[in-house]
Amino acid sequence: MDDKLFITLVPGNTFLDRLTGKTKTRLFFLFIFMLVATWDIRVIIPCFVVSVIGLLSIKPDKKKNIAITIFVLLMNVFNLFLVWFIEPDYGLKMCGGSTVLFQFTDYFIVTSESLWYFGARLFKFMASFFFSLTFIQCITPSELAAGLHSIFVPYKICMVVSLAFRYIPDITRDFTNIKISMQTRGMELDSKKTKVGTRLKQYVLILIPLIITSFDRVGNIANGMDLRGFGKKKDKTYYAEHEDTKADKYLAIVVWILLACFIALVVKKTFFPGPYEVWCPWCL
Amino acid sequence: MKKSLGQKLLGTWNTKTIVGVAVGAALFAVLMNFGGIKVTTNTSLTSAYIVPAIVGALFGPLPAALAAGLGNVLADLIGGWGFWFDWSLGNFVCGYFAGLFGAFGADIEDGKFAVKDAIIYAVLCIVGCALGFGVVTPVLTYAWYSSELTITWIQASAAIVSDASVLIIVGIPLLFALAKRNAKGTNLSKE
Repeated sequence: MDDKLFITLVPGNTFLDRLTGKTKTRLFFLFIFMLVATWDIRVIIPCFVVSVIGLLSIKPDKKKNIAITIFVLLMNVFNLFLVWFIEPDYGLKMCGGSTVLFQFTDYFIVTSESLWYFGARLFKFMASFFFSLTFIQCITPSELAAGLHSIFVPYKICMVVSLAFRYIPDITRDFTNIKISMQTRGMELDSKKTKVGTRLKQYVLILIPLIITSFDRVGNIANGMDLRGFGKKKDKTYYAEHEDTKADKYLAIVVWILLACFIALVVKKTFFPGPYEVWCPWCL
Repeated sequence: MKKSLGQKLLGTWNTKTIVGVAVGAALFAVLMNFGGIKVTTNTSLTSAYIVPAIVGALFGPLPAALAAGLGNVLADLIGGWGFWFDWSLGNFVCGYFAGLFGAFGADIEDGKFAVKDAIIYAVLCIVGCALGFGVVTPVLTYAWYSSELTITWIQASAAIVSDASVLIIVGIPLLFALAKRNAKGTNLSKE
């Protein structure tokens, strides 16, 4: 189960790994927000290319990444199929046209605009998926906290995030241990052999010890933090944050350019919206 | 210790609360990934929704909301399936309501949790889920992704039913068990 998780606690040695937490976090959030804000394929495709290059550049564990990519791809395709099933002529609303390519019945038609929209949507979601996969595999909890602090998040919230991040592997391990010990006592968790109701009840039996052990830790950790003077001062510096490297200085310029692009996109979307949400080359 | 209304609505913020929220968010993320049964795409009958109730019982409603919202973001991050901020904010609202029952007289830390509190808790959970997933999530989905609302509605109603039922069916016995564990000196009388 542990190998399913994507958390790095030791920084790696590739180009992206060596950047400061500040640069990583800023770049990541800008790309994600840009992808949320736009439906324009002319923005989405470059983002997608950057995300794929980013993912390949950190030399990730192949097996794990390919498995999750296939899973996410299938889930997205299934979602698109649902959209098509509920409203086959969705492209009319989003792109403003409906050129029928072929039709199964009067209702279930396939239009080129719908396909265009589905393609844009698939690239958009896959790009944001690759960005988060890259980000999670090249940042450590402390760097994430430092990075969040650099985008003006209060440091207590940063502490929450980095602590939570730090305790996920521990809690996963506890969960696995409790589950295995319950199974040795004869609890059947196989989804084929037990009903949904029984399984839910069995999860409760795992849950009670898990909750008690997890929250028992809280007192100890809080005392440890208090003893080291946490929360006494208004601000906090981060040990994990090293000085800017040369690459960080160049990427700071990229961050400003991306921020300008993002603001331009939002302004365009809010004040000068086109008649249709999705830009489509053949139905302007 | 008597708490003021502001403290009841926002929770008390000290180092313990910060750690509690962090552990809650981590627990939420882990349970979201491993402790659930899939219902439809993007929603599942997950035991994670019990976490806001516990955090709410121990620390107050705003910590509960943060644990649920941040927990959802972290779950998205470690699961690696991309971000759904609209759902995270829905969770935030839902978590706030699930943790609010302490403001109405229940006190898990002192072992006070009666049938009346359980009823208040159940009503709050239904209101919170309906508000979070029925209003906040679809509105944000429409504003940010301008995505098709039909599917969001299907997912939202599945989420409301499954999460409210987890909160109530699993939550109430768990809260009774926790209250009983924390009850101090209930059988002692002052002489």
